[in-house]
Amino acid sequence: MKGKHFYSHLIEIHEIYLSISEMDLKDEERNHLLSLAEANIHATVISTVLPELSEDDKKTFLKNLVSNNHEETWKHLSARVQNAEEKISKSLQELKKEFLRDIEEARKS
Amino acid sequence: MPKKTGNSQYKLLAEKWSNRHRNLQSELFSNHKDAFKWLVDNSKQLAVGSLASIFLLSSPVVAKIPGAISTASAQVSQAIDRKVFLVYDLKNVLPNDVRPLTADEEKNVSEILTRDFGISVSAELDGKRLNTTYGLIGQEQHLPRYPGDNIFNHFTSQDESGKYWSYGMTPGLGAWGYFTNSSGTLTQTDIDREKYYIAVQTFLSPGFDNNTKEYTDFFKYRKMLVVNPQNGKAVVSDIADAGPSPWTGKQLGGSPEVMNYLERVDGSQRGPVLYFFIDDPSDTIPLGPVQY
Repeated sequence: MKGKHFYSHLIEIHEIYLSISEMDLKDEERNHLLSLAEANIHATVISTVLPELSEDDKKTFLKNLVSNNHEETWKHLSARVQNAEEKISKSLQELKKEFLRDIEEARKS
Repeated sequence: MPKKTGNSQYKLLAEKWSNRHRNLQSELFSNHKDAFKWLVDNSKQLAVGSLASIFLLSSPVVAKIPGAISTASAQVSQAIDRKVFLVYDLKNVLPNDVRPLTADEEKNVSEILTRDFGISVSAELDGKRLNTTYGLIGQEQHLPRYPGDNIFNHFTSQDESGKYWSYGMTPGLGAWGYFTNSSGTLTQTDIDREKYYIAVQTFLSPGFDNNTKEYTDFFKYRKMLVVNPQNGKAVVSDIADAGPSPWTGKQLGGSPEVMNYLERVDGSQRGPVLYFFIDDPSDTIPLGPVQY
């Protein structure tokens, strides 16, 4: 499975990155916003998934997550969470919209 | 009310997104305390392959001012940043329509590509150039590498076969004939040359008609950096075929592997790529995708 995270294929973040890049910012400010966006995406995915899992499954999920085994992470999630992909996609789409709205508001302000 | 400056806009967004992350983090750690405690207690026994995955959760980066971002965080976002900056930089110098670039545009693009990829590229090499450096790329088929090479024995793994079998193999040969004489003499260089080949309109290059032999020798397996300007992906390719015909509306073609990596498709969804000569007299730059 390609991508940096197990959910990389579920979100097209290009648009967010481009919007940030188009702002009149210093490189370090731009980098910081990109890092913040990435950290928020990550936390959103984890907070979507964990409530769906039993205590034992949460441990397995976290273990898979830190071992960076995307295939195993997906396999486990798909088996334990009904419509895992849809649920994560939905959360990420909402977050993406919020990001773009925040950027737009910041540029207009 | 005066408009906020770039710096104020940054502060506004940084504060908003830091707060959002902090709230998410706090909610996560309080709602799933036992699972995280277990992870911390057992971290030494677990195969921790990606610190980033946890780092992003507990990330101090969200609270810190720029410049104090940790090395780990910088590494995490470095690959993304470089691609984003490349896409953004190219967007500023490329025209809206796909057409041959002006000399100034080519100079700007080659400077950006050389700087971002660390590979010396140019529109012209040894006094020779193609008809364009910015064009629409179409899908090519696999080329036979030696007599007897066919779609059933062409691939080295099941994974490759599964991905690329359906593109088929050309009934004819590439512009330079077979890559080698037999399967026994097939080298990794031959395999890579076919795998990452492009077809360009050599016959339309200025001066080609007057010095066909010289130009043909120059173009044979000449390395080019092919870049999708819309996603920043790049491949070191070699010229192994001539085409497509001008009437197709396309300016070059890519092997199935090249197209797949660049995320380019043929048909109504086709898109442009940049293609510049690589100056590699010692032949040290490997063919294939360029990693950031």
